[in-house]
Amino acid sequence: MVSWIISNPLIAAAIACAAAAAVLLVWYLVRRPALNHATKLVLLAGIGVLPLATAMTGNVAGYEATKARQFCGACHVMTPYKTDSENPRSTALAARHADYGMFGTITTKLGGLRHVYEYTFHYRNMSLAEAREKIHILRPFQNATCMHCHSTEGPSWNAIKEHASLLDRVRGGEVSCASEGCHGPAHPFSKPAPAPHQDHAP
Amino acid sequence: MTIWQRLSGLLTLRLSAVLTLIALALMVWSMLEPTPLPVMLAMTVGQGIGILAFGIYIFIVVRELLRELRRARPRDPS
Repeated sequence: MVSWIISNPLIAAAIACAAAAAVLLVWYLVRRPALNHATKLVLLAGIGVLPLATAMTGNVAGYEATKARQFCGACHVMTPYKTDSENPRSTALAARHADYGMFGTITTKLGGLRHVYEYTFHYRNMSLAEAREKIHILRPFQNATCMHCHSTEGPSWNAIKEHASLLDRVRGGEVSCASEGCHGPAHPFSKPAPAPHQDHAP
Repeated sequence: MTIWQRLSGLLTLRLSAVLTLIALALMVWSMLEPTPLPVMLAMTVGQGIGILAFGIYIFIVVRELLRELRRARPRDPS
């Protein structure tokens, strides 16, 4: 634990600020000094400056923590997805399921808030087997997510005859990249794929 | 006398100090155990309590300052 804190300077700084603030506040609560200028300055540090520094560094550290697989895997229903994402031989599309773009990370985190809500109030006590059956992706997998990188315009992409023959329907979202027979679902171990040529509403 | 005037500065600052300690505990917990519940609690409840505590401090200090200024102001001779 100690080595982990020392190896992460942000967390070390945040905990140091929190400890310093706690010392000042405990001193104030125990000694009960008169409210003179010196006490006000001590309290400014203990209630204002140091906790603000803790909150700011803690926010950055917390945000970084949300990017780790262990964070998502902390909820038991995420265990198979975490295991799959850690498997370098996995053929699942899961590694590509985050939205891209300038604000991709932010929008993914905002979506994650809903996951936390659903887990806390609906799936917390559900068994893993039951969760695999009952938890479904909120919206169909969007081709646009794939097309951020695979633009559908490159010669190597169009050299695949299935791509070339379905070009307009893939671009229009009529045929999902994650269809059975194409690339399959993002998490093939847990869910049946949507039927090919399924109409996907945005 | 309004409720704001009746609030004892020392008592309210003690409350503010206790609230800050609770907020700090939540923030430190999220750093030592970075799982969804502690991280979300720290970023919402923890920071909310911290802001409330700092707001109380600012209120008390500004109120004391205004009182001191009022006392220091010379009285109108009429």
